[in-house]
Amino acid sequence: MFDFVGKRKIFMIMSSVLVLISVILLFTVGFEFGIDFSGGSEMVFSIDKEIGTDEIRSILTDINTSYATSKIVQLAPITGQENAGVYSVTINEAFTENEKTEFEQAFRANFKEMNFTREAFDEVSGSAAQEIKSYAWYAVIIALILLLVYISLRFKLTFGVGALVALAHDVIIVMGFYALFNVEINVAAVAAFLTLVGYSLNDTIVIYDRIRENMKLMKGVSIEDIVNKSLNETFFRSMITSITTFIVVFLILLIGGRALAPFAFGLTVGVVVGTYSSLYIASPVVINWLKKTNRAHF
Amino acid sequence: MKANKIRLIVTILVIAVAFLGLVIPKADSADYNGIFKLFSNIKLGLDIQGGSLFEYGLDVGENIKEQDVIDNVILVLRRRLDAAGYNEATVSKIDSGGHLRVRVEIPGISDTARAEELLGSRGRLYFAEVLEDTISDIKPELRRVGTIIVNNRELPREEYVRDLDDPNKWYKVKPYFDFGPTPFEITGADVIDARANINTDGRGFLINLNFSNEGSGKFSRATGNLVNKRIAIILDDAVIIAPSVRDQITQGRAQIDGINDIQEARNIAALIKAGNLPVDLVKFQERSLGPTLGFDIVQTIIRAGLIGLAIVMVLMIIIYGWMGVVADIALAYNAFLLMGVLSWSGAILTLPGIAGIILTFGTTVDGNVIIYERIKEELRGGKPPLTAVKIGFGKAFSTLFDANLTTIIAGVVLYYFSTGAVRGFAITLIIGVIGSMFTNLVVSRTILGSSSHFINPNKFIKNIVASKGVK
Repeated sequence: MFDFVGKRKIFMIMSSVLVLISVILLFTVGFEFGIDFSGGSEMVFSIDKEIGTDEIRSILTDINTSYATSKIVQLAPITGQENAGVYSVTINEAFTENEKTEFEQAFRANFKEMNFTREAFDEVSGSAAQEIKSYAWYAVIIALILLLVYISLRFKLTFGVGALVALAHDVIIVMGFYALFNVEINVAAVAAFLTLVGYSLNDTIVIYDRIRENMKLMKGVSIEDIVNKSLNETFFRSMITSITTFIVVFLILLIGGRALAPFAFGLTVGVVVGTYSSLYIASPVVINWLKKTNRAHF
Repeated sequence: MKANKIRLIVTILVIAVAFLGLVIPKADSADYNGIFKLFSNIKLGLDIQGGSLFEYGLDVGENIKEQDVIDNVILVLRRRLDAAGYNEATVSKIDSGGHLRVRVEIPGISDTARAEELLGSRGRLYFAEVLEDTISDIKPELRRVGTIIVNNRELPREEYVRDLDDPNKWYKVKPYFDFGPTPFEITGADVIDARANINTDGRGFLINLNFSNEGSGKFSRATGNLVNKRIAIILDDAVIIAPSVRDQITQGRAQIDGINDIQEARNIAALIKAGNLPVDLVKFQERSLGPTLGFDIVQTIIRAGLIGLAIVMVLMIIIYGWMGVVADIALAYNAFLLMGVLSWSGAILTLPGIAGIILTFGTTVDGNVIIYERIKEELRGGKPPLTAVKIGFGKAFSTLFDANLTTIIAGVVLYYFSTGAVRGFAITLIIGVIGSMFTNLVVSRTILGSSSHFINPNKFIKNIVASKGVK
């Protein structure tokens, strides 16, 4: 049997450091918010050939000097038009109707010879961004409360708190990765966070379920041993599930392009962090608590 | 074995119903090509099939309640879109924390400059006295333009307005009426209804106008003073029609006759009725996507999903032998089930929704692994395969239930707090997780229960010996 529990102090220290680094990253580097959260306009267009982003920036500056610092990203070409250039331009403000027409006309005029096609246009007003942001917070907080209540009812408050500690750990570290790698935070990223919440809990609950069962079967055995045995019994399952899920989401991240990156990135990192936390954080955390409480209550 | 027979019947019935949902052509079935043929019966979101979404807030002042005008706004937008030929557009009401908004979705069309013009402008419908009409290819100039304050608005005393159909025809009009103590306007707000009808008294077609109480008083005063003169009906700086006044109209019901063509009569009626929006609209958000980019992204993600799926399927067979094959069948079963439910329920499949389907594969595999690990333990304990299968499923039930219910809770919260594309993710996640529980607990069990003799206990017992040997 592998000893997960014995080294729990080392892993708790390691996780605390990771969480700390993530929090620092969140406050120093910060998030790259998509227009869902910051408000603004994003246009995706394609032209016959690839050009430098400088050329696009000069067009932007010509339209309005305040557009000069806009974000310009070259996207993966569309299948069947591999030579074409696909670009995304993000302006940090919502347009008025005239500004929008002017904006598009300027691009059309500049790329007249290159077969300019507007592929997509998204615009989110400031109030819309505000609403999306507050809803995202509500969603995450309400989901966490409901899950805490559910686990406490089905298991015990100790387990509910343990699962939440592991969850907070996962979410904060994954957020740190978003900041570190400058991955855009948009609505899809929030969906990834909530999926991660579900996934990480799923993993934790399978282990808790085993601990609950073993506590009934193995009276008189120390809690450390029960938890460790449960972890060993569920380890193979955790690995298979994590590896298969990882394969799928990693592939989406690799070939899904920028459109899916905010979503796939969170899940890819989240699967790894979530599996680690179920083994080394969620279960060891409950040991100290369970020791103090009377086991006859279970 | 009787229980297994019932499970078998349920298994077959459920998949048959799901399959029918996918193949029976529906009235609104789409005509997709290639890999999308399977999705013909499933409603695809605008982020896949391309199209435009506009959402507007209502700029109501302090005196107007959103609830009182929203239906009117929807009606006006609906008519404007119909009149412009956007037949597939939908207009709907969005209630967001007490604030009402209106959302317009136009599938298949991403070049939306014209649509936006139709939607974004408040539009102004008003009646005006015609002073004279002239033919000119440029707008004639007025000699002196004074202004007058009517109803707190500054209006020109006279103005030139072009004819809607004839760009060279200009009407010189007076946009207010000054018959009575104070000058007044007659606007779209005074008109309740406009309808095209056959003229039963003479030739051609006519339009019946109905005025509100306030409107009929004003219209009566205007027509009383303008007998044998013309009144122009103007929408957004173009004269829709400029009929002559025969008699004073006192009952709040007017007729415009002498229209030759029923279609023309209908168009004019629609324009008058659509009239002006009661409030200004403020753009909340827009999402427009051309058809190529959407399909390209979807193809990529489906390709990624299929490759991942293939790897996972092979992996399962390598690890679990026959039980792995059953897990693969369960995967395919759940995928079909999910698409069948989408088709029957009319839920909209979006790009994040497809990601949700792919994640569901993970849940299905996970459920099988949890059960199989239990079965393995029983096999190692020396139980014969059939008994091991029975005990394994029994023991795994509570684990599966708790683990999946938490995912469903997260999904429901996400559904409630999201709109549009991400809501599509919540939908497929919830349907998929429920489906995977059914698939694992009923379908996998049916197959394994009747094919337990294919399970080779030695495979797992050997494994445990080998791993002990390593230590």
